[in-house]
Amino acid sequence: MTAGAAVAPVRPVRSLRGTVTAGTTHARLRVLLMALLVVTALWGGVAAWSVAGHASAAANVRAASEPLSLDAQRIYRSLSDADATEAAAFLHGGQETLPLRRQYQGDIAQAARELEAATAAAGGSSAGPQLAILSAALPVYTGLVETARTDNRLGYPLGAAYLREASGLMRATMLPAARAVYAHENAQLAAADQQATALPYAAFVVAIIAAILLLAAQRWLARRTHRVINPGLLVASLAGLASLIWLVSALTVASVQFSSARDHGSAPVEALARADIAALQAHADESLTLIDRSGDDTNQENFVFLEKHLGPGQGSLLSTAETTAAGSAGGRLAAAAAQSAQPWYAVHRKVRALDGAGSYTAAVGLAIGTGPTQSGGSFTRLDSDLTGAMAADQASFRSAAQAGQGALAGLEAGVIVLSLIMAAGCTWGISRRLAEYR
Amino acid sequence: MGNLTTASGVPVRPRQRLSRTAVASVATAAVLSWLATPVQATSAGGAQVVTSAHAAHVTARDGSAAATQCDPYASLQPPPGPPTVTPGSFMATVRARGYLIAGVDQNSYRLEYLNPRDGQIEGFDIDMLHAIAAAIFGDPSKIKYVATTNAQREPFVESGRVDIVAHTMTITCARLQDVDFSTVYFDAGQQILVEDGSPIHGVQDIAQRRVCAAPGSTSLARLSQYHAIQVPAQSYTDCLVLLQQGQVDAISTDNSILEGLAAQDPYARIVGTTFSDEPYGLAISKQHPDFVRFVNAVLAQMRADGQWAASYESWLGSPVPPPPSVRYQG
Repeated sequence: MTAGAAVAPVRPVRSLRGTVTAGTTHARLRVLLMALLVVTALWGGVAAWSVAGHASAAANVRAASEPLSLDAQRIYRSLSDADATEAAAFLHGGQETLPLRRQYQGDIAQAARELEAATAAAGGSSAGPQLAILSAALPVYTGLVETARTDNRLGYPLGAAYLREASGLMRATMLPAARAVYAHENAQLAAADQQATALPYAAFVVAIIAAILLLAAQRWLARRTHRVINPGLLVASLAGLASLIWLVSALTVASVQFSSARDHGSAPVEALARADIAALQAHADESLTLIDRSGDDTNQENFVFLEKHLGPGQGSLLSTAETTAAGSAGGRLAAAAAQSAQPWYAVHRKVRALDGAGSYTAAVGLAIGTGPTQSGGSFTRLDSDLTGAMAADQASFRSAAQAGQGALAGLEAGVIVLSLIMAAGCTWGISRRLAEYR
Repeated sequence: MGNLTTASGVPVRPRQRLSRTAVASVATAAVLSWLATPVQATSAGGAQVVTSAHAAHVTARDGSAAATQCDPYASLQPPPGPPTVTPGSFMATVRARGYLIAGVDQNSYRLEYLNPRDGQIEGFDIDMLHAIAAAIFGDPSKIKYVATTNAQREPFVESGRVDIVAHTMTITCARLQDVDFSTVYFDAGQQILVEDGSPIHGVQDIAQRRVCAAPGSTSLARLSQYHAIQVPAQSYTDCLVLLQQGQVDAISTDNSILEGLAAQDPYARIVGTTFSDEPYGLAISKQHPDFVRFVNAVLAQMRADGQWAASYESWLGSPVPPPPSVRYQG
């Protein structure tokens, strides 16, 4: 550099035109360097920002698959199951069976556990008030059920009144709140999913600008300096290409994984859960019809409504679940569930026919019976098919979401490092040319 | 949207605390407001607190000119001899069907209630039905029970959905315009049930107090005369739930039902004197006078052979009073 400065006075003598050209080229090179640095910084910034957005969305999707997540669907299901189980247990009379008692206790324990996790996960989100309603109502509900059980054991009809109140609290307050939390969670997952699989348009635009600028710079330099290759700009171009390839391939892999998580995971799980919850409510209605002895009244109307809704048949919950789950890990069980609904309905009609013909005791026996040809047993078959399918698809969801998130690992840091290499390459390459004009 | 706050994950701490307090109060309010709602309002989606205008209408109907001129104790004369199923009669239709369809309550302890131990509906009222089934089929168990609310009793009889209603049902002149009744099988009277330590000592104290009774009952209609705040509940056990939870101050209905409630709660007691006459009858459609006469014959036999007294003693205890007086008319 100092040597260049020493020979400087000689230069203007060589050629006036040369001086002008040299001055213009020097300025142009400086402008070019500035432009390249700006575009490189822009690329690094925009690419890292897109990756950060995708990574946080990916983390949200992944979090939804974690055991300790805001899993409203499990809250909803365990509460519905508690309601159905307690109603069935009541049909057994003062001394309910041990398996039903354990099932009820398991449901309540799970609901409490999930509620706590969900409340921790929900933070200040709009699901908060609904979760608070559930947290406040759960001990009230269990209190009412225990009072019902005690009175029932004493042989008092007051027990049935407490059960009615418990079931009323469950159906009028708790299940709607659980449903709202569930809807909220689904909307959140869908939004995160969309964000995680979205195309990073801004990054693409900057990548194109950077590519054009780098190519143009190299062509211009090649013509100007008669050197075909500028090593600095070549390094910058290669680093840029590498970061683009990495970005595109990682986002593609993540997108494929998240699509698979949705199509073979969360979507079938949601469809299956809808069907399962409808089935549980219909099961509770069957028991409540017998407990209230009101014949084919509101509870039975509910059952008929739910049966139509549940299917199988065009657009029904079970058929939708079967179609959505087709090809997923739970596909076989989902198809089995669609098959096991009809036998249950058939037994239910037998229960209603017996009750309608005055054979109440036989109707109750058929309703609570756990054999394969009895209502309790055939319902359990349907329920276990659905929950089995859900568990399988939940596992697919978890592994695909994990893989999707894994594909983005290190990408943000990588993009930043590569864009720094680009900047260094540009500076190196251009400053060598600049030096020639000193 | 709220999901954005969790996605970006930077809620400001004081605000979150504020929102948690808000959330907690919303939740408490929701549960409290639910608890304050009468049981049937949520489970059956049914009646709200009865307005005084409606109650006044019921009283007016009770006290109408046609109504005051009837004799609730009078019923149709049975044919002489033991009850018999004559060919072509309604009883023959019932026998061909194979079972009697009876509208009952399953919540009135000892009168008619579902015994959790064996899942059977039993009680004093149910014994009347067993005797009728025995007279028709030779088998007292040939009965299909349909649980009815108080308000469903007349409509179910009129529509033929049930053959007979045995549901602690007071014979009133207003009801006699819609359905027929058997002779009186039980004499009850309205009283008041409170928890220990209540300032209510009788009907004179119930003004402006929350008092529970079943909609469609004579008890609820009468409460308006005493300016009580009426809280309807689907059944009287639902009323007892409300009383135990402090949502009502008292329950008022027939002493027979109140005795059954008091038997389920050692802290509940009946106060004051009887302030109405509630003669119970079995309700039967006006289409079937032959069945009314048949049932009256069964009841006459029960009074005569001691079945009535035996049933009374086994469900309601001793001393057993003499059976209610009987008058036939037409």
